[in-house]
Amino acid sequence: MQVDVQTNKSPTAPLTVASTRRRGSLRSPHRRALRLGLLFVSPWIAGFLLFFAYPFFATIYYSFTDFNGVGAAHWIGFTNYVNLFHDPLFKTSLFNTFYYTVIELPLSTVAALGLALLLNMNVRGRAVYRTIFYIPSIVPLVASCMIFVWLFNPAFGIVNDLLIDAHLPSPDWFFSVALSKPSFILLGLWGLGQPMVIYLAGLQGVPRDMYEVAALDGASAWKRFRYITLPMISPVILFNVILQLVLCISYFTQAQVIEAADPGGPGTSTWFYVQYLYEQAFLFLKLGYSSAMAFFLFVISAVIMVVLFRSSARWVYYANEQQ
Amino acid sequence: MPTSSSRSTRRLGGSLAKHATLIAVSVLLGFPLFWMVLTSLKTNPQSLAVPPLWWPHPFVWRNYPEMLSAVPFWRFVLNTLMYAGVTIVGVCVSSSLVAYGFSRIRWRGRDILFQVMVGTLLIPFFATLIPLFTMYKNFHMVGWYLPLMIPTFLGSSVFSTFLLRQFFMAIPESLSDAARVDGANEFTIFSRIILPMAKPALATVILFQFIYCWNDFIGPLIYINNQVWYPLSLGLNLILGTYTTNWPWVMAAATAATAPIIVLFFFTQRTFIKGISIQGTGVKG
Repeated sequence: MQVDVQTNKSPTAPLTVASTRRRGSLRSPHRRALRLGLLFVSPWIAGFLLFFAYPFFATIYYSFTDFNGVGAAHWIGFTNYVNLFHDPLFKTSLFNTFYYTVIELPLSTVAALGLALLLNMNVRGRAVYRTIFYIPSIVPLVASCMIFVWLFNPAFGIVNDLLIDAHLPSPDWFFSVALSKPSFILLGLWGLGQPMVIYLAGLQGVPRDMYEVAALDGASAWKRFRYITLPMISPVILFNVILQLVLCISYFTQAQVIEAADPGGPGTSTWFYVQYLYEQAFLFLKLGYSSAMAFFLFVISAVIMVVLFRSSARWVYYANEQQ
Repeated sequence: MPTSSSRSTRRLGGSLAKHATLIAVSVLLGFPLFWMVLTSLKTNPQSLAVPPLWWPHPFVWRNYPEMLSAVPFWRFVLNTLMYAGVTIVGVCVSSSLVAYGFSRIRWRGRDILFQVMVGTLLIPFFATLIPLFTMYKNFHMVGWYLPLMIPTFLGSSVFSTFLLRQFFMAIPESLSDAARVDGANEFTIFSRIILPMAKPALATVILFQFIYCWNDFIGPLIYINNQVWYPLSLGLNLILGTYTTNWPWVMAAATAATAPIIVLFFFTQRTFIKGISIQGTGVKG
């Protein structure tokens, strides 16, 4: 450094500096590797700047304007945010998404892990069962919605027929205020193939001798699950919880599709946050207002993720770190 | 004497209980698809019978040709295939380059950038959508698939990059070193040595991208507004909204959209399951 500064002042400096630099970069494999590495990942860097960095800051900017997609955007300060917190539909849709997430997340975690545990049993024909368990999650989402609306059709659906046979009440499911969200949760529980397969891979990675030693010590099946299986697969649980959480926060497609089958719908009980955002942005062109909603969505999910990662230090066990 | 026979009957009993549980769950999970196919083979009055008719008699196959001609179903399929075809090229090219840079070359800041890339998975799609939509609108790209295709050429498929990186890391460094000694540059090593070895991983990437496009609803909903260009997902949505009084047609459409993907799954199961499992193994640390 010092040398560079001094040579810069001398009249012959430009030549020497340039030549040492060039030689330096040729000699330095680190510099070369850096340039090569950046060159290879440059498509992603361009994509990141264009599809994440730019829209992220633009969303924040728009959220302080009355932008409507056509005219110029005027700065209106916090007006959008103030309006947001006085908007009953904002609160309803936020609550609905919260409701769905809080119920669906634990249920789907238990169900996917349960399915994986079933598949991890030592029985013949496991591959066949695995195929059957997995198939619902490759059914196109829109087709799944069609099937469930039909199964749970209030008047002609097979589910209500079976309930009547069992002398149980036959509700309106997707079309009732009380049961619409639970219906969506059932639909969500049908397509858990992805987390199930990830759990299964996690279960198969637990060393067998751990269980054998524990069994020799007389540990019950429950204790083996609680003190061996759960800690060993806790990183996988964290991974799956995060994946499911992202899906829950952005819950949209199913609600949007099923409302197409019944435009009247059960009022606002199936009005999810992202749906409201979509409507404000693309039907009413209130892009400033919906940008405020989008930024709020980002803040909420960032806060949840940070809390989750912080808490994970306490309940996630990384076997490799201990060795 | 607790003989081996009593132990083996207990084992048999345990195995029976296991199979009973597995079969019960299979029936529960399989029933919706079974009912979908059965309904698609009924006449409309049969489908609306109360109590429901379990078995269609006779089987009505004409729901399929009728539904296929009532809506431009094949056009929807064609659009979907085009969408999938172009984005598969984009994902294969960009994700393999990026994955190579994130695995086979050591450089400062690599791992931090990689974590940033994985972190983008946590950002909700709608949190960044509005400026993107406005941008594409200003470039007159809204209405066709370009907004959904361009990102795939710029490494937008984090899953594919992740999967290819895992695969590249497992290839011994000595192969690259040998080529370097022979004077090959990094791009030659990438295209002549590493990429040909990664064919199984690329097959997985292609498979997942295809299924992603076949099922993608939100992307086309935002950017495609002309029915002529609808992909299958929007087409199905249209059918559901139009024929709510004709459930056999709706179920025929659902079956027609689901069957190819299930057939594909049967033939590619191993690739498929491995591809998903890799995600879970890569999360340590």
